[in-house]
Amino acid sequence: MEPIHSYTDKKSYIDQIDPISKLLFAFVSIFITYLFSSIPITCFVLLISIVLLMVGRVLRKIVPLLAISFTLLLSIIIVQGLTHPTNEMPLLTLGTIVFYQEGLTFALLITLRVFNMLAAFGVLILTTKPDDLMESLMKQGMSPKISYVFLSVFQLIPQMRATLGKITDAQRSRGMETEGSLMIRIKAFFPLLGPAVLSSLNMTKERAIALEVRGFSSKGKKTFISEEKSYFYPKFVRCGLIILLIAAIVWRIVG
Amino acid sequence: MSKIRVEGLKYRYPDMDSLVLDDLSFEVEKGAFIGIVGENTAGKSTLCYALTGLVPHFFKGAYGGNVLIDNIDVKQSEISDVTSKAGLVFDQPFSQMTGSKTTVYEEIAFGLENSGVEREEMRIRIDNSLRLMDIEHLQNKNPYDLSGGQMQRVAIASVLAMKPDVIVLDEPTSQLDPQGSDEVFQVIAKLAESGITIIMAEHKLEKLAEYASKILLLHKGKQIAYGSPKEVFSRDDILEYGIAPPVYVRIAKALKLKNKAGFYPITLDGLKQQWNVGDE
Ligand SMILES: Nc1ncnc2c1ncn2[C@@H]1O[C@H](COP(=O)(O)OP(=O)(O)OP(=O)(O)O)[C@@H](O)[C@H]1O
Ligand SMILES: [Mg+2]
Repeated sequence: MEPIHSYTDKKSYIDQIDPISKLLFAFVSIFITYLFSSIPITCFVLLISIVLLMVGRVLRKIVPLLAISFTLLLSIIIVQGLTHPTNEMPLLTLGTIVFYQEGLTFALLITLRVFNMLAAFGVLILTTKPDDLMESLMKQGMSPKISYVFLSVFQLIPQMRATLGKITDAQRSRGMETEGSLMIRIKAFFPLLGPAVLSSLNMTKERAIALEVRGFSSKGKKTFISEEKSYFYPKFVRCGLIILLIAAIVWRIVG
Repeated sequence: MSKIRVEGLKYRYPDMDSLVLDDLSFEVEKGAFIGIVGENTAGKSTLCYALTGLVPHFFKGAYGGNVLIDNIDVKQSEISDVTSKAGLVFDQPFSQMTGSKTTVYEEIAFGLENSGVEREEMRIRIDNSLRLMDIEHLQNKNPYDLSGGQMQRVAIASVLAMKPDVIVLDEPTSQLDPQGSDEVFQVIAKLAESGITIIMAEHKLEKLAEYASKILLLHKGKQIAYGSPKEVFSRDDILEYGIAPPVYVRIAKALKLKNKAGFYPITLDGLKQQWNVGDE
């Protein structure tokens, strides 16, 4: 099995950007896709996230996530395609079932937004050492408790993967099919999801206790074992992102 | 003066009806190795939380009595002050890793960073802990790439680096395979020899019989017995508390091999000795 931690230092250009800028990027990028209800703009924003993932050499890691979310989004696409209130123009007819252009367009926008959300956060999570993000946030004056929430988000995916691995092993040892064709795997996957989510939540609770006994919420001054990293002009990058955000808002209001 | 004094400790989790700890009173000498035994839901884990301040600071609920470490009341201290004196190790290796660190070395540093230890001092303490836990060769690995036994030793090293006088371990080997479990017991024995007070909830009674100086037997939150392993494991009513005594005790029982004080031997060596005495 692949290692379960999500970050490995790829020494790419993206690794040199400071964590706060990447966090800011994720928010700006997601905000813009909601500011404009436009498919071309959302496509463009998504494209930027994907290019950044490529530069960071982590695009491959995000693909399974996109695939899983797409299977969940399928139901939205079908429902909207069939029943969106503004549906007028039939686009696709399968026997007696008619998919309309308006509904499908709407569903496409949602899908692109979700993809961009995953990709933009992927840029942050997959190219940032969790500890560096935590440290940056705490140096910005954020409380350890809130930084911990970010940490948990980092943890969720590797944790679920670890648990899924364990449960799959257990089920295989009881003779359940977990390998083979895609269909067999999908069938085996869904019954696993419940236990995986539950045990991840439980682990999150256990981890909270474990952090607590290691002085995590101690109010005194903290020290850091690693020397401070130097990043690529953090102020410059952050200013650039904020200007971009303001420009987008102005364009939306004026345009 | 005893290291830990528990006086009439009572505790109930929030929104629950019954007491999980019901009037516990015992003392622990400095450097002792105490085994906590009892069937599932006896309250072992909860007692471990109470000894490290998680109860009542992290888990609220109804609390009565006192837990004193070095004569200082846990209830009235900050939780971080308690845990720097009495560290806690859990059963699950995986959930004890912070997840924010990418090497074992940094993982062990986490608690020290939180308590504001200077970098130079941190390095000294981490190196010491790595050596004691026999994991120096793993220091640059990602904690998540380790085996359960290795991860558990990292967890103990992280606690050890905080220089506690007491280490509380809640079934630290229950999730490990036999090899990992042996590795962990060996390092715990080392700690006990170095003078650290060890308190350990454990189902593997053979191991406790080998290492523990005293056994605390809990049942439904009540303290049934607190005494030497021989004394506690020789009790005729021990099965009623859901405890199967160590295998050597069961053999000795079947052979009716008691010593003069009326206790059964609890280890293989003890059994052999008793057998020879019986022969004479
Ligand atoms: N967070 C909690 N909230 C409410 N009740 C709890 C909580 N944790 C444990 N309990 C209850 O307290 C009782 C004692 O649990 P505890 O975990 O201390 O037992 P234990 O002796 O450690 O058992 P095991 O051998 O299974 O680890 C149980 O009845 C349990 O259901
Ligand atoms: Mg327990």
